[in-house]
Amino acid sequence: MRGNRDLQRACLAAVVGALVAALAPWAYVRLLGALPLTLFLPGYAIVAAAFGSRELAPPKRIMLSVAVSLMVLALGAFVLNIFPFGLETASWAVLLPLVVIAACRGAALRRERPQPGRGGRPALPRPAVGTLVIGALAAVIALGALVLAGKPLPAENAKGFTALWMLPTDSREDAVAIGVDSNQHQARSYRLEVSLGKDQSKTYRVDLDPGEERVYEVDVPPRPSGRTHVVASLYKEAKPQKLYRRVTSWLPRQMTFP
Amino acid sequence: MQARLESPPVIALLAAVGLFLCSLANALARETRDPTQLIYWLGVLLIAVPIFLRLTSTQPSYRERLGLVLLLGLALYGVKVVHDAPLFTLSDEYIHAFNVQQIEKFDHLYHFNPAISTSPYYPGLEGATSALTMLTGASIYLSGTILIGAARLVQMAALFFLFARLSGSARGAGLGVAVYTGTSNFLFWGAQFSYESLSLPLVCVVLMAFVEREEAPPRLRGAWTVPIVLGILAITITHHLSSYALAVIFVALAVLYRVMKVDKPNPWPFAALAVGSAAAWLLIAAQSTVGYLFPVLESAVKAIFETAFGDTEARQLFGSPSDTAEAVAGTPIGARAIALLAIAILGVISLIGLRQVWRRERRKPLVILFCAFTVAFFAALMLRFAPAAWETGNRAGGYFFIGLSFVAIYGTAQLLRRGPRLMGRRLLLSGALAVVLVGGAISGWSWDLQLARPLKASADGKDVFSEPLALAEFAKQRLDGSRFAGPEADARVLLFPGGQVAFGGQGPDIEDVVDEPQLRDWQLPLLERNHLPYLVADRRLLSEDTLRGQYFSVEDQYGNELRPQGVVHKFSEVPVGRVWQGGRIVLFNLRDRP
Repeated sequence: MRGNRDLQRACLAAVVGALVAALAPWAYVRLLGALPLTLFLPGYAIVAAAFGSRELAPPKRIMLSVAVSLMVLALGAFVLNIFPFGLETASWAVLLPLVVIAACRGAALRRERPQPGRGGRPALPRPAVGTLVIGALAAVIALGALVLAGKPLPAENAKGFTALWMLPTDSREDAVAIGVDSNQHQARSYRLEVSLGKDQSKTYRVDLDPGEERVYEVDVPPRPSGRTHVVASLYKEAKPQKLYRRVTSWLPRQMTFP
Repeated sequence: MQARLESPPVIALLAAVGLFLCSLANALARETRDPTQLIYWLGVLLIAVPIFLRLTSTQPSYRERLGLVLLLGLALYGVKVVHDAPLFTLSDEYIHAFNVQQIEKFDHLYHFNPAISTSPYYPGLEGATSALTMLTGASIYLSGTILIGAARLVQMAALFFLFARLSGSARGAGLGVAVYTGTSNFLFWGAQFSYESLSLPLVCVVLMAFVEREEAPPRLRGAWTVPIVLGILAITITHHLSSYALAVIFVALAVLYRVMKVDKPNPWPFAALAVGSAAAWLLIAAQSTVGYLFPVLESAVKAIFETAFGDTEARQLFGSPSDTAEAVAGTPIGARAIALLAIAILGVISLIGLRQVWRRERRKPLVILFCAFTVAFFAALMLRFAPAAWETGNRAGGYFFIGLSFVAIYGTAQLLRRGPRLMGRRLLLSGALAVVLVGGAISGWSWDLQLARPLKASADGKDVFSEPLALAEFAKQRLDGSRFAGPEADARVLLFPGGQVAFGGQGPDIEDVVDEPQLRDWQLPLLERNHLPYLVADRRLLSEDTLRGQYFSVEDQYGNELRPQGVVHKFSEVPVGRVWQGGRIVLFNLRDRP
């Protein structure tokens, strides 16, 4: 590949990108390393191999590089699936640089002779200051649009609710976890009553802020035979007589359909 | 002044402001303030109209026009992104995101999907997304959004190159791509995280590469063969309909080359590869496609005849695409008028274009095919009147529209001929293109869904979830890997982000199990046979609507109509354990009983 600086750089970028993607602990750094490796370099190398030294206008070369990279990703998954290790970070991090290096090698062989000009920066017109300022402003506004879209907002008219749930804490099923999960817009207070069979019951006062969840662990007394009917009932503090939520279980569970 | 307004940086700035307006309108809608849609449509127009106007000018260079169509594609994709971010909310997105989750979990493809059982056998999109999620560590949402965004840019560029090569005019190519944004699925459905959103751009790339190959000197034909072959293979494993459409296109081209005695190599090898790979994939890997796809096509054909002969009442236009019983807000008269006007504009432009194309380009087989696509597009519009066929027509329109957009180049060229009042005609054409874009968006996406709904909200600085999403989050944290039956909207959210195996719909007939107020003899055995211990009973009428059922209910707006209490009580009375209750939704465990 001597003399083909663009191919050398593509290979180097693929290897570095793979290492960064596989080893770097920071998500944004990994993103920076992996995006060219996944969405550009494989296509660039294959297009270079296909066209050799023949002319292909830069816009078409760039578009084909991205398009062929997408094709390589789709087909690469199919290929990796054949192997026992399958689709993993490591297998992608090996496959994609291999594709890039192999295709770059093919491209170098197909090119009639090293072209010193290749890989050099194309002469781009220098943008005016005004253009840069307006472009930057446009980018900031577009970014603002995306940030606004991703931000959860208060939705006062949406009907909030509080969920009640109950599950055995483990496979022995000698205790249950009972959760009260608020998806309300305001703080609320409740009374939680847990009855364990016919004889025992426990009561808890539950104060929840919006988005807050409280989990209570309750031991289920062992029974020599039969099952213990566990019922958790939730009442709003403002309406103490009216049942708001109820969950039930018979422990230990039968694990068969009715 | 005019020159400054039409300069690319100003156009980019206006597009950014337009995108921000769309985001603002969606933010107000998520805040349940019931904002006017005018803000949103103003945003869409601010993105598109300056670009349309610039594209009608003779001044921009080839590269500037390419840049403009890329900006148009990216900004309009942004309209979809700011509608949902940072969650998938379109019905097919849950299914494909679940497939990615399965690949991450098992390190291999083809794991079962309960919603569309054939979807894991077309793993191109999910496989590609898994590369991004694994290598970047980013979420499935971010990886998928980046991937579909890249595909969207590729599609815009490929269409531009295709049209420029075929028509010989960069100006025409830009306008052709501008027309293409008016296809009814462009703004939302075609931009979702779904296999067709990747395969359709690849179809455009293959067509573009084919045309370049045809025009290239013989020594370069081999080079152009590479993207064509890779494209055909990638499309084959990505999306069934796209692979069949591409096979049909190449077979038609091979026939046309033969009939028209074209003095170039017949593309039958590509036709053979496209047909062979699609057929081989269908027979070897994706046999379930037959059971998935053909009943849909069969009922579409039946519906056409039944509607034509008056056996079935014609479908009302601008109705909800869902057959849910929820009375959704109807499309206003003005919006309907714009959608119909868009069709009329397309009709006129196409008619003029067809005449011109026939005069000037009828020796090119692909051009003949594009003319046929144009006619087929208007024929497919008729399918919108047949209840079971409208979706088939709507989806086919995305492919036919490629041909129509090319033909439209010649129609628009007639309007932009040199002569007096050119500026006025440019403004007229830009306005017409704006109507086509907005009209397409209105006819392709329900009026009440154009703006976002709240799925996740904030209260006192913390996140609160809609009921289906809260259930999905609970299942994800506490019931990992369980099997559920539920109404379709709940089942989709349980798939992703819930990560559960959740069945809904009619195969098996979960729909009747969860929607009927009485417990029938066959219902519990059916759930047992399919190993579905967890059952979601949901009183909300919207719970079967995969586009609307996952959101918060909003006072006096939507999501407030209920099914009879029996849909919940019938399971309580069995009796079986109640695991989770959120108000309208109760999760039962059928294997927890006295």
